[in-house]
Amino acid sequence: MKILVRLGDLFNAEKLIPIKSAHVSGVSYKTLGDAPIEFLKALADSGARVHVRTTLNPQSLDHEYLEKRLPNRLCEKQLEILEQYERMGLAESLTCTPYYLQKPERGSHVAWAESSAVVYANSVLGMFTNREGGPSALAAGIIGKTPEYGIHKAEDRQPNVRVNVKAKLRNKIEYGALGIHLGKALGDRIPAVIGLHDPSKERLKQFSAALATTGMTNMFHLKPPKEKTEAINVDDKDVKQTITDLSTAATKKPDLVFIGCPHCSQNEMKQIGRLIGNRKVKPATELWVCTSAHVKKKCDNSVKRIEQSGGHVLTGVCTVVSWTETLGIKTIMTNSAKTAYYAPTLNRAEAILAPLKECLKTALKG
Amino acid sequence: MQPVTLKGRVIVEGTCTAKALVSAKPISFLGGVDPADGKIVDENHDLCGKCIKNKVLCFPHGHGSTVGSYVLYSLAKKGLAPKAIVNQTADPVVVVGAIIANIPMVDQIDIKKIYTGDTLEVDACKGMVRILKHKEA
Repeated sequence: MKILVRLGDLFNAEKLIPIKSAHVSGVSYKTLGDAPIEFLKALADSGARVHVRTTLNPQSLDHEYLEKRLPNRLCEKQLEILEQYERMGLAESLTCTPYYLQKPERGSHVAWAESSAVVYANSVLGMFTNREGGPSALAAGIIGKTPEYGIHKAEDRQPNVRVNVKAKLRNKIEYGALGIHLGKALGDRIPAVIGLHDPSKERLKQFSAALATTGMTNMFHLKPPKEKTEAINVDDKDVKQTITDLSTAATKKPDLVFIGCPHCSQNEMKQIGRLIGNRKVKPATELWVCTSAHVKKKCDNSVKRIEQSGGHVLTGVCTVVSWTETLGIKTIMTNSAKTAYYAPTLNRAEAILAPLKECLKTALKG
Repeated sequence: MQPVTLKGRVIVEGTCTAKALVSAKPISFLGGVDPADGKIVDENHDLCGKCIKNKVLCFPHGHGSTVGSYVLYSLAKKGLAPKAIVNQTADPVVVVGAIIANIPMVDQIDIKKIYTGDTLEVDACKGMVRILKHKEA
């Protein structure tokens, strides 16, 4: 409560407003570490319970595959974290895409922490959420309210910089690269991004995740601003250079090919299944496809195809927040610019950023 | 030298006197700072290899993962946190981290006036940062 009142005071919120849901980050033991477990325990011990639907970000492992390959100590610590959240009444959702679990309500106010979901919710789904820190999203879930400041107010959602995209973006990695490039240039400004070629929801999901990775922007618009603003131009060269910079690996032979940052939608699962067909994963490579348990349940055929190929459909987890270095993974190939950005520091791995088809071609024989 | 006083906004109250560590780039505490030793590990960062422990950490604003709040908390519990945080624009993720870790914090400060190695007196109860001594002096 102190956290929320302080935030509200700082940002001149007049009041706390009710929220429809909260979404909490700080679930993976790998990213959280030991000290915050005590923080969560103390909170749960004090009797704190959530009063609106509150969902959880991915954890550091899944039960079917990674749990069997990782040291017991890590699995036990991870379980300890989940237990604290369970005591406080959070739903065991374990995904960075809470918007696939329940139909998001346009115009609703929420308090979400996962930065990729924040940008996507405000910009694509028409929802209202600040980029909450993990603890403030949890606090908002507990009291069912959040301070009314920033992106919750219509006047603070207006674009204040125009981005002219001169590059013709052809796939998700180019959308991701645009996000990484712009995040650095924009700081906390809200852009109107003009000139995007075929901006499907899934391409915008990649753009949102990448924009939030390098910036503190929590929203973008696709319509031109009504008032004259400063303009930034982005051309082909910027996008290509960003992809080159993110691809740190000298080799073209990854230990792991990873799809699913942010977690795959049903549509993406189907596409992956279709592209795999009857091919098999190469012996020296692993293929991970990450999604939520909720989406996996609805994709029986695609899951079957991926698993028959020798690939793994992992739920409730993703590469960025998992212990890939403990598994000996040194090079990660992915179609996610966010993953490629974090791989060198969080996974101590080199990255190869490549389109989905190339990722699968590298992972599979034939 | 005559101390220079910069006036900003109170985020988390507290006072300290310590050396400045100044960056021109935003910081993501998750992935950007090693929670085991408090060193900046992002190779593309201008402070890469520098330790933030006991410094007045000055940077424009936060970016990236919202787990950053918990990283600040962990650093504080291990005694590796900065003595104070001075920002141009406060990012809610950094603010929440400073609140739960109880790190004095001020924003709306023109950090371009501060150089790494300067001795700073931070009075985060009044939102003031005083440059007591420039590094060269």
